[in-house]
Amino acid sequence: MVTNDATILKMKHDVLCEVAKLAWAGELEEKREELPYKMIPGPQAQFRCCIYKEREIIKQRVRLAEGQCPVGKDSLNVVQVINAACEECPIASYVVTDNCRKCMGKACQNSCNFGAISMDDTRAHIDPNKCKECGKCAQACPYSAIAHLERPCKKVCPVDAITYDENGICVIDEKKCIQCGACIHSCPFGAIGTKTFMVDVIRLINAGKRVVAMVAPATEGQFGPEITMASWKTALKKIGFADMVEVGLGGDMTAAAEAEEWAEAYKEGKKMTTSCCPAFVNMIKQHFPMLLDNMSTTVSPMCGVSRLLKQQDPETTTVFIGPCIAKKSETLDLNIQDNADYAMTFGEIRAMMRAKGVELEPEENTYQESSVFGKRFGNGGGVTAAVVQCFEEMGEDIKPNVMKCNGAAECKKALLLMKVGKLPADFVEGMACVGGCVGGPSKHKTEMEAKKARDILIGSADKRNVHENLKKVGADKVHMHRQ
Amino acid sequence: MKVTICIGSACHLKGSREIIKEMQELVAANGIKDKVDLNGAFCSGNCVNGVCVTVDGTLYSVQPENTKSFFEKEILGRL
Repeated sequence: MVTNDATILKMKHDVLCEVAKLAWAGELEEKREELPYKMIPGPQAQFRCCIYKEREIIKQRVRLAEGQCPVGKDSLNVVQVINAACEECPIASYVVTDNCRKCMGKACQNSCNFGAISMDDTRAHIDPNKCKECGKCAQACPYSAIAHLERPCKKVCPVDAITYDENGICVIDEKKCIQCGACIHSCPFGAIGTKTFMVDVIRLINAGKRVVAMVAPATEGQFGPEITMASWKTALKKIGFADMVEVGLGGDMTAAAEAEEWAEAYKEGKKMTTSCCPAFVNMIKQHFPMLLDNMSTTVSPMCGVSRLLKQQDPETTTVFIGPCIAKKSETLDLNIQDNADYAMTFGEIRAMMRAKGVELEPEENTYQESSVFGKRFGNGGGVTAAVVQCFEEMGEDIKPNVMKCNGAAECKKALLLMKVGKLPADFVEGMACVGGCVGGPSKHKTEMEAKKARDILIGSADKRNVHENLKKVGADKVHMHRQ
Repeated sequence: MKVTICIGSACHLKGSREIIKEMQELVAANGIKDKVDLNGAFCSGNCVNGVCVTVDGTLYSVQPENTKSFFEKEILGRL
């Protein structure tokens, strides 16, 4: 997988791993200040202007790894800018490149409605104060000499939450940010990261708490066809988790509850949305609050499994593991009872493992606690497929018209249509990441790279149905609504 | 009203989960769910002061034993 931050990923992972090592050893307090010097020994800078800047960036990354803001500000946002790492990308949006021949036709100048283009000695020049960024000049130029430069972080943000301060450093508008995490790997300087719960989880395991891992449905296939759910269970137990449950089971739980809710709404003619994707939920809460009444009240698969585990043993601390950043914000919403205590990404949990010398190893798949419908919850369209399966199992003759939104841009479009009363569908399945959770920001492989392995692993699961599975594991008695 | 409760490991070990559960029940029992927004927070580094609870920006130290009186004074009392 090639992300914009591909060559920095190792550095990011090394920081997590070093922090994890110290946390496991209980030495983080005394030794955290040493990490920037250990990781950037100098005297030559490797990536930035000088070793002092490099060390400052490491220091800020360490703070994030510990769940704190990179600089000492007070902010609840999960996604944070590592301001020392932000290289102040050029803000001028349209710029004239060397391709300009200062031609006689002047299509650029003639197409500009704002008088922003003049000719200097060698080429056309765009006055950034007059330019309205309409893009007409770039389209008009016969030499493709006008480039559209946009900050990569800003370009991928679906809710326009990224702005800059007076120094050109990137700033996240926390009122708008839905914690989807799309910006994180889009930054070629690795200047955006998230707070992690990694140190908290390590400390609770060290303190002897019963900590149970809940692994996302999107996991299968991410690490090849030989890394099974059983592989995860073994590795997680090796580093001190008491147990592991696949959240596909929660997919079954959510699908069953959602099917009942949708059936009722369908009969009343009320339009509804899903509520399992936390970034989609944040989008409704922050950008379309008038639609809150149309959002399903069913809790997410993560919350379902957490409630089941806490019902079985109230002393359990539950930790979600997956490709998702927004799940961290879901755990911070304490209006929902008994949800997961913490959420972590694949990268964070693997750093925790690596720090203890544990790797995911091939193992025969002897573990299955979910139907294939729950397992497919992490794919675009997976929620709808599972709900439709539940309709069949319930004997409901409903063929719902569902708008399956693949990615945040489509989610936004559907919500806009719903807001003005023009949604052509009965229901909206909202997935803020393209492809569903398998396309999450902290994925290990892209959906296409992982598809073959995922199909093999899920293909080998037995064909139990949803309700049968819930009865079997006693998950049919869990309260599955927010209130 | 925004109430923020630290869920970092130090506060967790000092009983933040018990406090959260009790707060959730008290908020429901008093019928003020639409007025009180309960949020979790990452560790803010004030670990020595016990479970850190912030009400509209003011930091308090709460123990599981005094959750009810805290709720009555600082949350109900301010609404």
